Amino acid sequence: MPRRRRDTATAKAVVAEAPPRGRRQRSKETYREISVAEFFAKNRELAGFSNPTRALYQTVRELVENALDATDTHSILPVISIRIAYDEELEAKYGNPKKWFRITVEDNGIGVPPTVIANAFGRVLFSSKYVIRQTRGMYGLGVKAAVLYGQMTAGRPVEVVSSMQESDYVYLRRLYIDVSKNEPKIVEKGQWRKKGRWHGTRVTITLEGDWPRARSRIIEYIKRTAVIAPYAEIYFETPDGEIYVFPRLTSKMPAPPKEAKPHPHGIDLDQMKMLIKRSNARTLLQLLSNELQSVGTIMARKFLEEIGLDPNLDPKKLDNDSLVKLVDSMKSYKFRAPKSDHLSPIGEELIKIGLKRMFKPEWVDALTRPPRAYQGHSFIVEVGIAYGGGIEARNEPLLLRYANKIPLLYEEREDVTYKVVSGINWKIYRVDFPAPLVVLVHIASTKIPYKGVGKESISEVPEIESEIRIAVQHVARKLRVYLGKKAREAEARRKIITISKYIPEIARSLAILSKPPTKWNPPSEKDEKILVDALVRLVSRNVEVPKVPGLDHSDPEKIVRSVIENIKLE
Amino acid sequence: MAAPVDKVDLQARRRAAKIIHEKFKGVLKDVLSGKPPRLIIPKRTLANTRFDPEKGILVMGEDVIERELLNMGEARRFMQTLLMASIIYQALIENEYPTIRDLYYRGKHTIVYRDLKGRLREENTWDEQSESDAVIRDVEVFTGLLREDMLILSKEKGKVVGRMKIRSGGDVIDLSKMGHGAYAIESTPDLIEFLEVDAEFVLVVEKDAVFQQLHRAKFWDKYKAILVTGAGQPDRATRRFVRRLNEELGLPIYILTDSDPYGWYIYSVFKVGSIQLSYESERLATPKARFLGVSMTDIFGYRSKKPYLSERERRNFIIKAKDVDIRRAKELMKYSWFQTPKWRRELRIFLQRKAKLEIEALASKGLRFLAEKYIPEKIETGDWTE
Repeated sequence: MPRRRRDTATAKAVVAEAPPRGRRQRSKETYREISVAEFFAKNRELAGFSNPTRALYQTVRELVENALDATDTHSILPVISIRIAYDEELEAKYGNPKKWFRITVEDNGIGVPPTVIANAFGRVLFSSKYVIRQTRGMYGLGVKAAVLYGQMTAGRPVEVVSSMQESDYVYLRRLYIDVSKNEPKIVEKGQWRKKGRWHGTRVTITLEGDWPRARSRIIEYIKRTAVIAPYAEIYFETPDGEIYVFPRLTSKMPAPPKEAKPHPHGIDLDQMKMLIKRSNARTLLQLLSNELQSVGTIMARKFLEEIGLDPNLDPKKLDNDSLVKLVDSMKSYKFRAPKSDHLSPIGEELIKIGLKRMFKPEWVDALTRPPRAYQGHSFIVEVGIAYGGGIEARNEPLLLRYANKIPLLYEEREDVTYKVVSGINWKIYRVDFPAPLVVLVHIASTKIPYKGVGKESISEVPEIESEIRIAVQHVARKLRVYLGKKAREAEARRKIITISKYIPEIARSLAILSKPPTKWNPPSEKDEKILVDALVRLVSRNVEVPKVPGLDHSDPEKIVRSVIENIKLE
Repeated sequence: MAAPVDKVDLQARRRAAKIIHEKFKGVLKDVLSGKPPRLIIPKRTLANTRFDPEKGILVMGEDVIERELLNMGEARRFMQTLLMASIIYQALIENEYPTIRDLYYRGKHTIVYRDLKGRLREENTWDEQSESDAVIRDVEVFTGLLREDMLILSKEKGKVVGRMKIRSGGDVIDLSKMGHGAYAIESTPDLIEFLEVDAEFVLVVEKDAVFQQLHRAKFWDKYKAILVTGAGQPDRATRRFVRRLNEELGLPIYILTDSDPYGWYIYSVFKVGSIQLSYESERLATPKARFLGVSMTDIFGYRSKKPYLSERERRNFIIKAKDVDIRRAKELMKYSWFQTPKWRRELRIFLQRKAKLEIEALASKGLRFLAEKYIPEKIETGDWTE
């Protein structure tokens, strides 16, 4: 599965062995290089694998996101099936029933080249091309962390079956990760000629998990994924045999993100070094104008001259001081804003379709904001709001957070989105809690500023915070207009009923009062009818008549009469 | 019900019915001509109540409310007002005497209407009697007719005995020949005809028990008086009856109550009217009524005036005023009709001494003391408060 990701960490990590205690031991501290795989094996909570509950959730999440990246990013309408099953073999072997799980996720994506499968699943931080674009995955270690966790708890290799679109073969690989070397260790290989035209990838990981605890989060995760991917067909089978099916609602997909060069505001020293290493540029001028976005020759020359660097200098010969100066100066120089065509927003229409399906609201609307940038990274904020209908009333809005189309479920209160949404005075928008309100916020960016290593909440970057607020307020204003109209209609309905229902009583009373005291005779039915007719006319002409389904709006008298048709005067 | 009705009764009915009919003609005209109907009703609120020093009574101010059918908040009350008026109107014409409870039941029925979704819904024309009672008050202020004028009955509470004859419902009644009992003042005091009167003043006592004692002592006979009680807070009929005795017969009215703010308020209701229901004062209040006692100076004396109670009696009879009494007294001090020098002195002494006295305390000195010394002496010497 070729995942195009950006390397942001070097391939090796250095950790100190815990030194023996004691004052004199300091000088005896020894350092040993460990592989990245080993590092993550020892620090698995960094990748979200802190316990069997989180591990189960995280594995599903990694596999589903890879599956979507292999499909919609390449303009393939996704068909994704997810199956979590109890592993009876391991149960028989180790005892501990309901502790071992096989998670299988299959997609109809582009497939992984057979030569790449081993590294893609068996080498932590295996990198693809050096580009920037928005994908769901993060550092390229997610699925490997799942593989590692699986082999460490259940002792089973990951199984990958994959076929590319143009290939005539299906390939099988079963492999472990050699933790100390950070290398894939293939234990089984196979290939078959394809009979049909199937292409895609099926990955099975066996691991220790806690289904009862992970259940609601996993279901929620899949539902929320379905909300923003209404063009995907998703099947989900739980270990208890429940089946969730989310059929495809539309064949419209968001435009896949384009690859983009880094923007000078967002580049750091390491990235610059790597850029220089890989680039064919002979001069600094070429380097800046060819390898960075939003920088042309004129701009590059002007910039270099201003900071006192020779545009004709060979970038490979730059000393460290000049390099620091270059990177540092770029951050504050006024380049054009980053481009955003490497971002793939979901789009207003798809957000609305997804919200409608999941919540059956009486009202829904969405907004995709224009691209903005923070620290050289472009981003787009999208907001959808759904109200009423099938939504349960709650004391605060139900918040659906997404980052690069990934649902974020944990650490809600830490998130900038929560801060903005909970800080909004919803009364202004005619929403009185408890209210049936869902607020969806999607942030698409080449770099999501996550708060912590768990990648579940987004930091309070001022530019992003302000965009979220603007977007939520914009859609909320439309909600207010709707609710205002609804309230007026409800008021009109109440009014017409409140007044109309008294017509017969008033007519009868008036009929009595209108008979002179001398020569008294009780009013007849005809007297009453004349007054009823007069009152019906009066009310229907002077009171705003609401729209009533099933009744002719052009005849307001009919509506008034429908209220009193049942009333008989004794 | 077609009971034989006497002439006075019939006249009253015709008059009231005619006024009601005329008053609602405007609504009828509006409805038939397609104009949104409204009732313009004087406001029955405390804020719209003021004391008319010339008439010496509480009257309603100029504020009115417009009750419109097409106003959502007023439609129900609009309907209720018309409904109540029509029931009263019909009862007047058909020679009936409904009580306010009858009116409540006659008007109470369920309106079963349809909402716009086609569901049947129910609503009562009114639920509690308090609701229909309030509507009666609306009809009263809208038409300017009191319920007594509209021949609506209420529970009889007041009693009268004394040296006079009256005609009621065609019968002549000698109020001096009631035995140990008394004539219950009827709900329609305007239908009473005064025949022979041989009395020089009217004594109104707050308490029924004191009334009975004075009656058995033949106080009214000895001192040529008419003896009335409202048995606590007087009802409208008693107040109207007392007013008529004063207005039509020119008899002075003396009021005898406990010596406390509650007693003083009862006097105030007879004299200027009730604060809540100022619209009735015009016909119910007796501005010339005099407060005979028991006054603070009767208890404690004042300057040359000697107290009726000895030091020892005071110690035995006086009750310490409670906080609520003090609050009430302070409230009374604000009313302009309690601003006379004598009333200010009364209230000042009360607030100084924080003492109150029940009229039974005087009776316990001996009924003869009350009937033959205290009351006649005070009337003779003009020792009353106004």
